[in-house]
Amino acid sequence: MDQQDIKLMAHLMRRAGFGATRDELGAYAAKGYEATVERLLNPGESWWIGDAMVRRFDHEASGMINHPGSARNWIYRMITSTAPLQEKMTLFWHGMFATGVPKVINGMVLSEQISMFRRLGMGSFNTLLLELAKNPAMIVWLDNQDNHNGAINENWGRELLELFSMGVGSYSEDDIKECARAFTGWTIGNTEYMMVRSQRDSDWPYGRISYHFEYLPDDHDHGEKTFLGEHGNFNGGDVIDILCRQESTARFIARHLYHFFVADEPAVPAWPYTPARDADAIDTLVEAYFDSNYDIKSVLRVLFNSDFFKSEEIWYEKVKSPSEFVVGVLRLTGEFDKPGREMITRFRQMNWMGQEINNPPSVEGWHQGIEWIDTGRMIERINFASEQFGDTTKPGVKAIADKINDSGGKIISPGQMVDRCLDQMGAISVSDETRDVLLKFAVEIGHSTDNIGQMLRLVAATEEYQRA
Amino acid sequence: MTTLASDTGKNVLEYITTLGILAMEGRGFEYPTDTVIAKNGRLYVTNRSRDMGERGVRVTVLDIDSEYYGTFGHYGQGEGQLISPMCAAEDSQGGIYVTDDYTHQITEFDYEGNFVSSWGVRGSGNGELNGPSGIAFDYEDNVYIADTHNNRVQKFTAGGEFIFSFGSKGADEGQLDLPWGITVAPSGDLYVADWGNNRIQQFSADSEFVATYGVSGRGDGEFLRPSGVAVDERGYLYVSDWGNERIQILDTDGAFLQKLRGQATLSKWATNFLEINVEEGEARSKANLEPNTDIFDPEDPHAQSAHIEKLFWAPMSIKLDDSGKVYVTEGNRHRIQVYQRTS
Repeated sequence: MDQQDIKLMAHLMRRAGFGATRDELGAYAAKGYEATVERLLNPGESWWIGDAMVRRFDHEASGMINHPGSARNWIYRMITSTAPLQEKMTLFWHGMFATGVPKVINGMVLSEQISMFRRLGMGSFNTLLLELAKNPAMIVWLDNQDNHNGAINENWGRELLELFSMGVGSYSEDDIKECARAFTGWTIGNTEYMMVRSQRDSDWPYGRISYHFEYLPDDHDHGEKTFLGEHGNFNGGDVIDILCRQESTARFIARHLYHFFVADEPAVPAWPYTPARDADAIDTLVEAYFDSNYDIKSVLRVLFNSDFFKSEEIWYEKVKSPSEFVVGVLRLTGEFDKPGREMITRFRQMNWMGQEINNPPSVEGWHQGIEWIDTGRMIERINFASEQFGDTTKPGVKAIADKINDSGGKIISPGQMVDRCLDQMGAISVSDETRDVLLKFAVEIGHSTDNIGQMLRLVAATEEYQRA
Repeated sequence: MTTLASDTGKNVLEYITTLGILAMEGRGFEYPTDTVIAKNGRLYVTNRSRDMGERGVRVTVLDIDSEYYGTFGHYGQGEGQLISPMCAAEDSQGGIYVTDDYTHQITEFDYEGNFVSSWGVRGSGNGELNGPSGIAFDYEDNVYIADTHNNRVQKFTAGGEFIFSFGSKGADEGQLDLPWGITVAPSGDLYVADWGNNRIQQFSADSEFVATYGVSGRGDGEFLRPSGVAVDERGYLYVSDWGNERIQILDTDGAFLQKLRGQATLSKWATNFLEINVEEGEARSKANLEPNTDIFDPEDPHAQSAHIEKLFWAPMSIKLDDSGKVYVTEGNRHRIQVYQRTS
């Protein structure tokens, strides 16, 4: 098989998934690029044994009193899922519609939002936004339970425009107020009891109770509103319809998708005064958005099949987020055929690298790209990967070593050891400078199964492996 | 209109009370996994804790009147300590045995919680264990252990001497997939909650396959990931149908009799909490704790149970006492629902 096909497939799987083993890359490449994209877009997953596994063996990942339980539930899913793009899109929306524990003190409520992203994240953006507006975690996160007829709370309305659809610069303060009016009466059931428990961080008497959406017509402002130049007795759904029609919304979503899947952009606050890295690419995605009636799957199909995505110029142009990095390593090492206590440690290690699932730094989510890296986090990343790959008893590492070792038991050359390690860790391309360093190390240690583990550790520390 | 899977079928069981409250330490439970109904009239409840950490792991001792007698078996790997307690059983001499699926050990305590002995080493050879869960004594004080990750059941003396093992990974008759709860019926036969195969299997005392009950599904008499089973003197099966978040009762022939989705009320400890915490108690009294079920996915009972507090949520084990009471230990609701046989 053409090695270039394998390397392109490796690029696709690093971005649309969490990387892949060399065997998986070979199987995908045999199916063809476009067919693999379709498989990623249509995973067809139904009953997933992993969900039962994590609930049985990690009980807080079932009851989810607090956010680490809900995070572990999701991380285990990311590690074991056969639908990697579905999980990546779930991560994408979790980053863009960032909701977290400081106000939503209930792991199950957070987990149900994540499930909603998983269920709707590759469908209609209109439907997704509508469900987001009804989502109990989002309602509590942005105080819409305090948004009443005659006494509006603008928090949800403001962020819906600024961070979830149009972006800064495309609307007025009056639009925010009118938007808030349209969402009055959109709240959660049993508001008083749930808020009392939340304020007291109460999990008594029988653990948390999850929240449900409730629409209170008597608390809704049924009056006429003017929103983005349109007039009517708008309710929340009407506002979302109007938002989805806006070109600014299409551009904002397109730039987010480019930023997440194609190449790192500056952080979102810089977007109003920083041109997009590839304006033509954004135009292409905007066109796909409108052509498909806001269908995210259609936009992704265009993105992954585009020349700008396949171009070698953008390979390794993204810094892996801690979740991408940790999950990618653990999918390779095969540590979690069943969830164990180690999941607690893996969750914490991801936090130390700068990304605590279900606890983003703010409603703006995490800044991506090079901002994932500082000295301490880099050490965490390298130490983590080093610990994982250095253990040649882990099933995935053993499988890699078996592939690298010559079937006849012959000693392989340092050059072969370097090339086979890079290939088996996901058909990684490295610069000449990186390869020289790896080769020098291979010459020093020589070939053995244990030393393959040493080489894998060094590969994981390279800039190329830290990037996607 | 979508409705929850309600309590339907013949009226074999009737609800009588709920025990427990969530507590990280002391009086209460935190992710309880199993209950021993001991011959001294007390209940010994194993708790796994929230983050598998130091505070919540323990055995809580109480009785059906919610009298609290203390805790033992706290977190650690020393004598009489536990890391991940999973299931428990009593021998004829009043020994309380707890399985630990992290240390792969079985630890015996006396009624007062004093350490007696422990045994078990990790492995896959005869007498070795990998993630033990279900435990049940026969009438000669030998003990069966569900050796979960070895996909088999092993029989030992009470002191831990290996007698025999049976089962292997698979879905054929007599094979097992991550077995969980087990029980010895009055007939002396062994029943195994064959979790991964969505069925209960019956074996003779010397491990011969006898019968299988249930197929995968959400219908009457079908199971999803059953966690435990109890059998009465008539041969009726009481199954904690964990993946369906319900209890089912089958007759001797395996015919469906009744399913229960749960109807917990406030325990004495819960009532006490809400009386002391007035603001919370008042807010709760105004809340509708049984919202319209249309808003929940009927194919997702786990989510339903997260929203409606009275429903079973993670029924980890089901135990039957001599007076016809059935105790359902609920991991995610940190309580025990007690039912009474009506016939």
